[in-house]
Amino acid sequence: MSRQRSMETILADEFVSIGELVRLTDSRYSTLKYYTEEGMLPFEQAEENLTRRYRRVETVALILRIRTMKSQGMSVPQMKEALLQR
Amino acid sequence: MNWGVLSMAELSLAQSFALIALNAQRSLSMTTAKKVALRCTAAAVILDVYLNHGFTETDNQLSVHPNTWDAMQPKGYLSTILKPITRRNNEVSGELFWWLKKASTLSKRKLVKFERTMANDLKARYLLEEIPNLLGCDLLFYSSGVEIKEYRSNAYEYSRITEGIRADFLEEGPLSDENICMLWLFRESGCMHDFFSGNELEKVSIRMEECHRHTPLGKKLFSIQIHHDIEMAIKYFLNFKKSFVKTQGGSGLNFVYPILERSQSVFIDTEKMLPNARERLHDVLARLEEQGHKYTVLHEGVISIIKIDNIIYEAVPHAIIGRIPIHGVRLLPRRPL
Repeated sequence: MSRQRSMETILADEFVSIGELVRLTDSRYSTLKYYTEEGMLPFEQAEENLTRRYRRVETVALILRIRTMKSQGMSVPQMKEALLQR
Repeated sequence: MNWGVLSMAELSLAQSFALIALNAQRSLSMTTAKKVALRCTAAAVILDVYLNHGFTETDNQLSVHPNTWDAMQPKGYLSTILKPITRRNNEVSGELFWWLKKASTLSKRKLVKFERTMANDLKARYLLEEIPNLLGCDLLFYSSGVEIKEYRSNAYEYSRITEGIRADFLEEGPLSDENICMLWLFRESGCMHDFFSGNELEKVSIRMEECHRHTPLGKKLFSIQIHHDIEMAIKYFLNFKKSFVKTQGGSGLNFVYPILERSQSVFIDTEKMLPNARERLHDVLARLEEQGHKYTVLHEGVISIIKIDNIIYEAVPHAIIGRIPIHGVRLLPRRPL
């Protein structure tokens, strides 16, 4: 049986799934999926049908940054530009 | 970085499902929808015990492990389900299906006891609260002294659980046992449509089929059915009725025939016959305040616009004809919601 990872385990791991990112950041799944498809949230994937893995610390920081940019009224292309520049 | 993590609660499967299932259910009365929700939450308790090795398994026969009774002390809701089934007899055994069926067919009295224990547990953790239902402001309910309250789950925790589940189901990758159980509970409680769109449901049904074929837990669980067809039919009909009056046409019909969907067409009577707009608004606000609702007046006028408990309503002048005409306003949710 494979059990759901506890918060303690998630926070000790370098990589997290998109579901865990949703739980960590209180974001909507569709929002994170959209950011991923737009290339704003980099991920690693061993094979096409396997889970996408995100670097926990970096990705949470990215989501926080995107949220701040959004609250400043930036559009998605502007946010992408700003993330690329960095 | 622990941003966004500190306030998170570690909940068991049963507690997580209860937060989803009890949200927006009437707290003071036993409706059919709530009965369905409670039966499935009771089944979630059994699955919780099963996943946490609280059963001893011999030849597919499960019996409560002696240590489980001590372990369940802090979680009072566990004993409100296990005790009535076993009467504290460790010899009682049966297949997983038998335990789930027993838990989901507990009497109404035992379900109410379970509901109270679970709700109190969640309330103590600030994850659930009871709020007044707007229908309690309606002339017919208010004048007969009927109090209507409903549960509201903590919005942050609710969205964290439901969005997390959506992500796990709709993304590629293996599902955890908790997710498989949650999927089965969603199916049995008939709330798949609440969380997934039509297109997403196709993907979810493929995932469910995969689980059924390839995972040991899925194989066991997805062949089990605990729902009652009559209760589910009533629940689907009520959902259909509710979604019908959410359309423009349905809303108009509900204005003329409020009996169609009472909760979407609340009538508040005014003190005076033929009151002006200001007096009307004053009377409406007084009733809302008396019943403990949070409101903000967004626009004052012939048809005032009021935000009540996060939903925007139009207060349309109206009169109902009984033995004598009664003047007042009808609160109609503004479209789109």
